[in-house]
Amino acid sequence: MTREVGRSLPRLESEAKVTGRAEYIHNLTLPGMVYGKIVRSTVAHGRIRRIDASQADRLPGVVAVITAAEVARIVQDPYYGPAFHDQPVLAVDKVHYVGDPVALVVGEDRDVLEAAADLVAVEYEELPAVFDERAAAEPGAPVIHEVIRPAATFTDLKNLKPASGSNVAMAYQLRHGDLEAGFAQADYIFEDEFHSHQVTHTPLEPIVTVAEPRGDGGLDIYTSSQSPSFVRMELARLLKWPENRIRVRTAYLGGGFGAKLYMKLEPLAAVAALLLRRPVKLSLSMEEQFYTITRHGATVRLKTGVTRDGRMVARACTIWWNGGAYADIGPRVTQKSGFTAAGPYDIPHVSIDSYAVYTNLPPAGALRGFGIPQLVWAYESQADLIAHRLGIDPWEFRWKNALRPDRPHATGTLMRDAGVLEVLQELKRLMRWDEPFDRGSGTRRRGRGIAIGLKAAITPTTSVAIVNLYGDGSCAVYSSTVDMGQGSDTVLAQLAAEVLGLDAREVRIVHPDTDVTPYDMATLGSRSTYHMGNAVLRAAEEVRHQLRAIGSEIFKCRPEEVELQDGHLVAGERRVSFKEAMEWRFGMQAGNLIGVGSFTPTYKKPDPATGESEDITTFWMVGGNGAEVEVDTETGRVTVTKLVTVGDAGKALNPGLVRTQLSGAALMQLGFTLFEEMRFEDGQVVNASLADYKLLGMRDLPSSVVAEFVEVGATHGPFGAKGIGEVGSLAVSPAVANAVFDAVGVRITSLPLTPEKVLRALKEQAGEIWEEVE
Amino acid sequence: MNAFELVRPTRLEEALEVLSEDPETVRPFGGGTALMLLMRSRLLQPRRLVSLDRVSGLDRLDLDGEGNLRVGSMVRLRDLELSATVERFCPAISRALLTLSNVRVRNVATVGGHLAHGDPHMDLPPILLALGASVVAQGPAGPRQIPLDQLYLGYYATSLQPGELITELVIPPLPEGTRGSYLKATALSADDWPMAGVAAFFRLEQGRIVEPRIAVSAATTTPVRLPAVEAALAGEAPSEALFSEAGRLAGRDLHCLSDLRGSAAYKREVVRVYVRRALQQVWAGR
Ligand SMILES: Cc1cc2nc3c(=O)[nH]c(=O)nc-3n(C[C@H](O)[C@H](O)[C@H](O)COP(=O)(O)OP(=O)(O)OC[C@H]3O[C@@H](n4cnc5c(N)ncnc54)[C@H](O)[C@@H]3O)c2cc1C
Repeated sequence: MTREVGRSLPRLESEAKVTGRAEYIHNLTLPGMVYGKIVRSTVAHGRIRRIDASQADRLPGVVAVITAAEVARIVQDPYYGPAFHDQPVLAVDKVHYVGDPVALVVGEDRDVLEAAADLVAVEYEELPAVFDERAAAEPGAPVIHEVIRPAATFTDLKNLKPASGSNVAMAYQLRHGDLEAGFAQADYIFEDEFHSHQVTHTPLEPIVTVAEPRGDGGLDIYTSSQSPSFVRMELARLLKWPENRIRVRTAYLGGGFGAKLYMKLEPLAAVAALLLRRPVKLSLSMEEQFYTITRHGATVRLKTGVTRDGRMVARACTIWWNGGAYADIGPRVTQKSGFTAAGPYDIPHVSIDSYAVYTNLPPAGALRGFGIPQLVWAYESQADLIAHRLGIDPWEFRWKNALRPDRPHATGTLMRDAGVLEVLQELKRLMRWDEPFDRGSGTRRRGRGIAIGLKAAITPTTSVAIVNLYGDGSCAVYSSTVDMGQGSDTVLAQLAAEVLGLDAREVRIVHPDTDVTPYDMATLGSRSTYHMGNAVLRAAEEVRHQLRAIGSEIFKCRPEEVELQDGHLVAGERRVSFKEAMEWRFGMQAGNLIGVGSFTPTYKKPDPATGESEDITTFWMVGGNGAEVEVDTETGRVTVTKLVTVGDAGKALNPGLVRTQLSGAALMQLGFTLFEEMRFEDGQVVNASLADYKLLGMRDLPSSVVAEFVEVGATHGPFGAKGIGEVGSLAVSPAVANAVFDAVGVRITSLPLTPEKVLRALKEQAGEIWEEVE
Repeated sequence: MNAFELVRPTRLEEALEVLSEDPETVRPFGGGTALMLLMRSRLLQPRRLVSLDRVSGLDRLDLDGEGNLRVGSMVRLRDLELSATVERFCPAISRALLTLSNVRVRNVATVGGHLAHGDPHMDLPPILLALGASVVAQGPAGPRQIPLDQLYLGYYATSLQPGELITELVIPPLPEGTRGSYLKATALSADDWPMAGVAAFFRLEQGRIVEPRIAVSAATTTPVRLPAVEAALAGEAPSEALFSEAGRLAGRDLHCLSDLRGSAAYKREVVRVYVRRALQQVWAGR
């Protein structure tokens, strides 16, 4: 009997959101609160000679100017970061990119603070800077961090060995089979290079943190964070406090997409609040978000050996990730995404070299897909290229090479529960791939393309949940999963309700508060439904167990004979409400039934030399996209007329939410594909605003947006479910570029697909000269 | 953004008086859509803003005795878009407004602000330039009429004097039978500012093109008319070949500007194509 699972319940918080009543940290003000404004580096790489804050200090309304010297009074070793401890609370001696936080001005009036920030005079001795990931990885490039220290907070990152004295912060390698022998078997060898550009998350609620020192010596942090448990742990480490002195709370997030992971403003807000002994609020402007966290640009070089009949037999992948000035979670991207760089294909001989490279650009971290879209851009563009060159239908080529169940992935882990074939088939059906296609005429040419991507789950990570049944029989779930619009509240409520025989709308989800809700690794990487879902299931099962025990005493039957339905215990004809059960148990309306569930999947560390492991991921994510485009051959403008997204949901706990996650991710990636791009001049972002960094608008939407899922159950997923938040984004870019190729025969190898780039390629193809103007 | 004082006079004289105090730090405020962006990026830091929203007499939208369309500077772009008078007068204006930014911006942006801003990436100036429109400006020295081709001096530079306000837009009536078209090219999102815009108007007499008017904006530092292209079209019978030649000439003569939205070379390509397509559209009566 399932009533909640599989039901397209609308998001529980929708009404509060559309009526403006949902809680956001952005709107929080506390008595006595002051604001901070960050003074940022104006040079891309340099030593700080002198900071003169005297003029700013004298401005009426300025409470304090904080620099690294003041930070040291609270935190002796001010470096933090999830992978490497390379990021200081405020710049110490050196700045590493334009926008690097150098000082903080604090005051009551935000308008005064802007003026005050301008008055902080910082003198730099400029150092040579490097922005391109390939150039930065070369020997002799200016070294950005002289020493790099690993963090060792997360199990999966424990064996990352940072390399000091070079900008290659970390190198990951995988060796599978015998590459030389593989290439020797190949009839054709393809060597291509693909480039992905820097983009950024632009959550509509910019990153914001309020820190409030408590009277008892503790510290309360209110923050728009996707990782409250991590924030508490890291702050405790910096302050050398026990974790229980720090309380971290979140509310709804106005979008996250990976921008609000690990620590962002929390350390600086905490230090300022502790120095000043008052609540301090730091909130970024939209512009400042461009200086805070981005998605990695990447260069991917692929060498692929293929037999005449279209079998891939060997593939060598080299990836340089442009990590910007601080590693953030880049090393995890380098490894976890790196190892999937050969794609969802059965290739016997594979080598992968993946390099996390420091540059003097804003730091890069996770953005919806964790590096996978950059890899899929490369391997699915090349797959298309190979198929066309060999005269094989692009779908057939993928079908032929796809990893089938129980075949080993390049890591050595067997493909289990992964819907590669199912996604390909559904994609073919929704694209009507076998039917005739209108190719347009004149200056409007039409084409279509497909692509498919594979992602591993970040493994191993832990989620803990508590389910609490109150004296009146109502129920609450305590979880540190952050609902940032993806609908986790709804799905977790559905899972608890399913087990307890309740309606999900009656289940209260208690939002992250580290004093109250238990540990969760973070809301990232499509992990919550799977990990927290399992924890909630287990916690709810514990409560169900206790309820059945009470029922068996009331009904004088065996516990297994007691069913939970509509908030009642039922045995045959007899029913008592949960409230009555609680009264029976506690003698009055009182007490709690508490269940605790925790979930950590199995994992085997990869061998450092080969990168192989037989248990590298707890589940695989598979997503495919198809696009139909129209290209204006005289202007190069690409119009996507149809965008198909297929994801493997394992089991769609809430089909409505699965579809909106799939289409939402696909459309986000479509913006990145067509025109979203951070532009730099000498390391300075020159389009850091939504006026010049344009997001996909309503009129850019394809006239047909199709999102569907297949269900290949995950053995250890809750009811078989897998994460679905990112898979819609994985293969959009190559699907569109492949469609452009199909339409007009030009292959674009660097994103985004701006009209200018397409037109240049068309002119080149036609042998026409592009007249440059000055 | 810096702190500022907002004043909301009700009479034009009052507004002009406040503006004349110190044109450096006092700024007129129409809808504020452009002004706020400039202030947020701190390119402008005015001390006082003079909102014109309560000034009486700036909201007319009708034809005068001579058939000129007169539009008060505080008429919102959305009102222009929805006006049946405008639609009858020149449908190309109504159509251009549909893709001018989005309805939220059009609801607040004003005709005066749109024309005074001086950013070349705007949709109406090339159309109005082609139509031979002018603005009425009021300042300390009294009213004067400025033809649009004398209003735009350079990138964000207009011939408005310090303390001077646009109070009205005047568009002369189009000769009977004239048809027009405006084509907007965007490089980023579809609701972006234009990367290049082309306006084309002409009428046919005995199968020959009469009074052709071609204007280009966004690709260039200011909106410009293209007299050489107009001369090449005048008196000729419309044909695909003629329009292609017009496009080629347009590209040849134009001094394009590289920016985030496109290189000068690309913009020139687009202008070539769009001049041809705009002329084709006029010819086809679309
Ligand atoms: C997101 C966005 C997208 C946009 N996209 C487009 C687009 O696609 N196409 C397009 O054409 N435009 C676009 N615009 C620009 C929009 O049309 C202008 O912002 C608008 O026309 C300016 O009008 P406003 O009334 O808001 O001017 P304001 O911001 O009030 O003023 C603009 C300037 O003119 C001055 N000023 C205002 N009124 C007067 C007056 N009566 N006399 C003298 N000076 C005056 C101000 O001091 C200021 O310097 C966009 C704007 C935004 C914010």
